[in-house]
Amino acid sequence: MKRTSLIAFLLSLFFVAGGFAQTITLGFTVSRTGSLNVDSLEQYRGFELWRDTVNAAGGIKAGGKSYKVQFASYDDESNSKRVQQLYTRMILEDKADFLFSPYSSSLTATASIVTEQYEKIMLTTGAAEEKTYKLGNQHLYQMFAPATQYLTVALDALKAKDPKATVAFVYEDASFSVAVVTPAKAYAQQLGFNVVFTEAYAPNTTDFSAIIDKVIASKATVLLGGGHYADGSTLARQLYGHKVPLKMISLLVAPDSPQWAELGDAAVGVIVPSQWEPQSTFKAQYGPSGADFGKAYTAKYNAPPSYESAGGYASGLVLQHAIEQAGGIDTDKVAGALNSTDITTFYGRTKFSTVASEHGLQVGHAIVLAQWQKDKAGKLVKQVIWPLAGKSADLVYPIH
Amino acid sequence: MMLRRPLFWLILLLAAVFAWLPKHGNNVALREDLILVAVAIILTSNLNLMIGYTGYVNFGHIVFYGLGGYVGLYLMTVRSWHLIPAALTAGVAVSVLALLFGLGILRLRGAYFALATIGVLEAVQAFVSNFESWGRSTGMYVSFESYVPMGGPKHALWLTYFLIIGVMALSLMLSLGIRRSKFGLGLFAIREDEDAAIVLGVNATLYKAIIYSVSAFLPAVAGALMFFKNGMIDPSIAFEYMLSLEGIVMLMLGGQGTVAGSALGAGLYERLRSYLLTSPRLSAFHLVIAGALLLLVIRLAPGGLIGWLYRLVPRSREVIE
Repeated sequence: MKRTSLIAFLLSLFFVAGGFAQTITLGFTVSRTGSLNVDSLEQYRGFELWRDTVNAAGGIKAGGKSYKVQFASYDDESNSKRVQQLYTRMILEDKADFLFSPYSSSLTATASIVTEQYEKIMLTTGAAEEKTYKLGNQHLYQMFAPATQYLTVALDALKAKDPKATVAFVYEDASFSVAVVTPAKAYAQQLGFNVVFTEAYAPNTTDFSAIIDKVIASKATVLLGGGHYADGSTLARQLYGHKVPLKMISLLVAPDSPQWAELGDAAVGVIVPSQWEPQSTFKAQYGPSGADFGKAYTAKYNAPPSYESAGGYASGLVLQHAIEQAGGIDTDKVAGALNSTDITTFYGRTKFSTVASEHGLQVGHAIVLAQWQKDKAGKLVKQVIWPLAGKSADLVYPIH
Repeated sequence: MMLRRPLFWLILLLAAVFAWLPKHGNNVALREDLILVAVAIILTSNLNLMIGYTGYVNFGHIVFYGLGGYVGLYLMTVRSWHLIPAALTAGVAVSVLALLFGLGILRLRGAYFALATIGVLEAVQAFVSNFESWGRSTGMYVSFESYVPMGGPKHALWLTYFLIIGVMALSLMLSLGIRRSKFGLGLFAIREDEDAAIVLGVNATLYKAIIYSVSAFLPAVAGALMFFKNGMIDPSIAFEYMLSLEGIVMLMLGGQGTVAGSALGAGLYERLRSYLLTSPRLSAFHLVIAGALLLLVIRLAPGGLIGWLYRLVPRSREVIE
């Protein structure tokens, strides 16, 4: 009898230990090579830091069990033809329980064809384009604020400061920037701004002289647009070089990078719409505070986090929260928990649309505006200037 | 005539194996691997018609694939056409366009022609990026409902797969058919010495324009099928210059001018890249290893793998064309 109870005791220990040893597999691709390499890697670091933090704390605790997180991840070469091959592999061979998106809207749209047919939940980050969420997908959840918000927020800030400004749109002729500028232009007209000049430039443009001459001739006082790092930084440098009398410049993506400070005086005053900034002061209901996240990130990677990294980490947090709410990793229950998610983390508010025609679209998160300003010591720093409730400094307007 | 050639039966066997392997046991992961191999074979064997048969290097071959994708997706998403007629129409439309382009740029020779093909690629990309009906730079997306008439996305993707395998087999048959035809002999004559071919009565400009147009048809059909499977298209993924270059590398690797060489090169290159990408040990160095291997093969076997086989076993020429 004694022996039987000893065996029963040992067996129960084994099962309890077995309970602790459960793992969940998260699948995603990273663009380790190719044109999306820099931003995609930042996003990956966010995933990785979240995984390490969760595992160090004993895993995700749900329904009386603990789940350690493991990754199944491959290089998609920034190439859409690889994405479906690799997402299928992660679902069928690596048995991924949940998925994160690749970086960029087009790779995410391609991956979603696969994840949706296997009814797998995919949290998308680094994918702001809205179309994907309006195609009837039921298992996609967007972490980024939609692309339409990027410049409309800048227009709101401008309206508060100078409702009579004349606006020029100069932007890269690429998927993301066109998706941002088209609604922004309509919004500018709706707000009563006079849009005096609009021009899209080819990706990889290095000489903006002709466009800059047209901007000067148009007598625009505000320039909105840009695209990615290379063209955005060149445009800012040449606008400064030509001494274009602009009161406000807001460019996409490029000024978010810490490298932007290397432009010196040309960098001063430029505004960037951002999904998150280290100075953001959201009061986290769940997960670490912004300061703690920034500290842990900088300690691990020796660089400040970008909004792509914050989006990556926050995706992990939101999934973790949903698994805890669902009490397990059953897809339908976790999807139900994600549908009713409305939480504020260090990254800001997260809430997904449950309207059938746009299921999973992000409706809680908002874009913040950051502006490069000189501090008292004359050093260039990025300050949050919008929304006013979360600002770390006032908008400098006009720039010069 | 075709029926007596061993390669004809080998192509049929290859297509049958491609179709049967993943379907047997419902191995979708294998299907995804093989579809990339099949597309590589389609692009390479059609590129071979220009480079290997006619001696004209086409750097912008991917333009046919991308344009086919655009025409196909436009017909499917905006005009609500079924996949098959949309893909066939895309093939015909792109071929006609290629014929018109070809009559213009094929008067150029050598490096000038090669440069003009890059120009065609750039011009088409610039046009598409500004074409409102095709979504300009943001492209077009396939609605999830488009899969419903085909029995949902799972069935739709299997159907796409079998169609791609069919296009692959047709591409190889086309290469095989042209290789021994009078038309093919005319192309080979142009490749060896164009002036001599003209003196002998070959209408070089017309022959070149026809082969340029023919080499556009099946890649365009494949483009329509693949971008439907992909779920979206935009100019940056439709006209990826890198894919054009990869096509040339695959051809060099297998052996240009031969039917089997284009298939072998495409298959090996694609499988090698996929293996290295997903190998836990080698994935960090996949580009370095792929590059080094390609250099070695091209250094040691300048005629490609089939050229090397011909040198080793001369009689293999009769079987492996």
